[in-house]
Amino acid sequence: MTGAQPVILGDMPSLSKLYVNAAATAARRRVLGTDAGISLPPCGHEVRGVLAEVGNLTAFQHLVGETASDVLPAGFIHALAFPVAMSVMNRDDFPLPLLGMVHLKNTVEQHGTILFTEALDITSWAENLRGHRAGTQVDIVAQVRRTGESEVLWKGTSTYLAKGVFLPGIDKPSAPPAPTTFSAPDPTALWQLGVDTGRAYAAVSGDFNPIHLSVLSARALGMRRSIAHGMYLASRALADVGAVKGDSFRWDVAFEGPVFLPARVALDISSVDSLSGAWRHSDYTAWNPRSGRRHFSGSVSAL
Amino acid sequence: MSFTGQSATGPEESSTAAAATPGGGLLRQAVVVGGNRIPFARTGGAYTKSSNQDMLTAALDGLIARFGLADERIGEVAAGAVLKHSRDFNLTREAVLGSALSAETPAYDLQQACATGLETVLGLANKIKLGQIDSGIAGGVDSASDAPIAVSEGLREVLLDLNRAKTLPQRLKVLGRLRPKDLAPDAPNTGEPRTGLSMGEHQALTTAQWKITREAQDQLAYTSHRNLAAAYDAGFFDDLLTPYRGLNRDSNLRADTTLEKLATLKPVFGRNLGAEATMTAGNSTPLTDGASTVLLASEEWADAHELPKLATVVDGEAAAVDFVHGKDGLLMAPAFAVPRLLARNGLTLDDIDFFEIHEAFAGTVLSTLAAWEDEEFGRTRLGLDGALGSVDRSKLNVNGSSLAAGHPFAATGGRIVASLAKMLHERGHVDGRPARGLISICAAGGQGVVAILEAF
Repeated sequence: MTGAQPVILGDMPSLSKLYVNAAATAARRRVLGTDAGISLPPCGHEVRGVLAEVGNLTAFQHLVGETASDVLPAGFIHALAFPVAMSVMNRDDFPLPLLGMVHLKNTVEQHGTILFTEALDITSWAENLRGHRAGTQVDIVAQVRRTGESEVLWKGTSTYLAKGVFLPGIDKPSAPPAPTTFSAPDPTALWQLGVDTGRAYAAVSGDFNPIHLSVLSARALGMRRSIAHGMYLASRALADVGAVKGDSFRWDVAFEGPVFLPARVALDISSVDSLSGAWRHSDYTAWNPRSGRRHFSGSVSAL
Repeated sequence: MSFTGQSATGPEESSTAAAATPGGGLLRQAVVVGGNRIPFARTGGAYTKSSNQDMLTAALDGLIARFGLADERIGEVAAGAVLKHSRDFNLTREAVLGSALSAETPAYDLQQACATGLETVLGLANKIKLGQIDSGIAGGVDSASDAPIAVSEGLREVLLDLNRAKTLPQRLKVLGRLRPKDLAPDAPNTGEPRTGLSMGEHQALTTAQWKITREAQDQLAYTSHRNLAAAYDAGFFDDLLTPYRGLNRDSNLRADTTLEKLATLKPVFGRNLGAEATMTAGNSTPLTDGASTVLLASEEWADAHELPKLATVVDGEAAAVDFVHGKDGLLMAPAFAVPRLLARNGLTLDDIDFFEIHEAFAGTVLSTLAAWEDEEFGRTRLGLDGALGSVDRSKLNVNGSSLAAGHPFAATGGRIVASLAKMLHERGHVDGRPARGLISICAAGGQGVVAILEAF
């Protein structure tokens, strides 16, 4: 982590308050024409002694297809750290509008198991503000350690795009690249996602972003229908990969076309072994079986 | 090991020489005395209102009547159902209590998807071989008509929490969580829990992978109907079947079907795949209701009761595949189990006189045969020098199989064991050795159970 020491927050931030505040900030910036500048906040935020709630953990595990073990799934830790990350993006000196940001990709490095009984220190900061043909992108990094320990057990990097926001000196709009042709392989799985998929994941992750909750709330933000949470989809793919990944692994996902709910999602999840038969990585690709459009792809690999 | 498949040999390969049993004696033989089933009925047909317990009891009572077992205390009865109501936790024991057997006959339930019936035969045969029991009845039953329907997860959680709530305000609070959608029931489906793909969709992937044509599948279905009809006409099932609810033949049997008729059916599985969809309602088994039983015994017990000894249960083998990530097809486990079983018994496909390969789908049988004929599959997946070999089609499912008879999941194993035992007994000896039959049954969850029987 670069820059100043993180600001220690006394409590876990409330996501609902953050969303309300984000809406207020957006309105204020629109009315007053003020902007937050073109540099990232100089420091991150940290919350100490965070404990997972076991009932919430069980609900998360069942929803994404994990066995309800005492180990926190990597996607659950993302949800646990999310309010801290959001609070960084909610700072007055954060240069991009929080509402409407698009989750482009996510990388997690899990360096060991974390049990639900362990108190955790969660740190988050923003870095790598850079251009994108359609706007400006930024990495929001979160790190998780056992309270009082220095070893990082989990590190997540979420790349978000502020669509249509072009900060001076960073980038200019350019034509989208020629669409890459994707030819769907034979599926190994088919997910049936009900219209309440977004609400169900919001209940276990705390991420009540209106674009996931209902047709009406999604339309208010310019979506034609509600969409599934990217991290819900990626967490299901991770659960499907299963125990072969071990305790330490890298988990990547890149999001493409959103999954409008309800949906049928076709997937190909396959493992690649070394010559000696040891697992090296599992790759996954998901697409719309009707249109053939790709929703997301990624991999889980040995660290 | 350099190959990533499932070796046809391995640590389990060992001498089949007689070993000591708990009683200190040598392993004895387990013989098939005979079997009884009720005709299989297409779902929503003659057995719509019959429960699993009703049908299992009917099949059991027919067996009791055929072999004079009324008031007999059998060593153990083992049976199961794949689609099972939670109230049927002791399904087999309840069927025994409702049957003419002695109420002192113990029973247990077993569930291994479509391999349930064959696994009950192997389990009881092993107990007989070890001297733990002298007689056993194996069986299975399934009803797709009288299927269990569960309440939704939301309603279930509310009901359970309501039961735990102690005060009125607590109960009201729990009830307040109920939403209209929670009232929609949760019906069982044939989807694999980990993939969400139905069994037919999984098989469609395998069928396409092994390039099995529509014509070959229709031909297998046609042969199944023709063989089953001929077996009925020849009276083969007269001592294997007890009429029930007005049926005296399997209601799925189409004695007059033709290849032309089968060719007119529209594909129902695999329509979203890149390859041509080839699986129809004609070359896939329909949902079916039915029950079957098999009487097993030691030689001494059969002799003491003056009962026939049709065949011996020689050996069995189970296998499983990693279908979740597409390494193998969902229903391909027998392709690995059979080579291992043959190797352990020092046999090849050429030493088998009757092949009973359960026709979950015509594509399942043909994909399995194609894998065994494939050089690369033999080398890289089975660890052999080349292909396992070819199955002589004139020895395959000679009295018909599931495509014609139907497939009440757990009842299929008992149907096949009883029929094969009778066929082996009728054949007697081949080249100076007992006639030999191989049973292969695929099952949900990527599993398979296979067995060898020999004429007594």
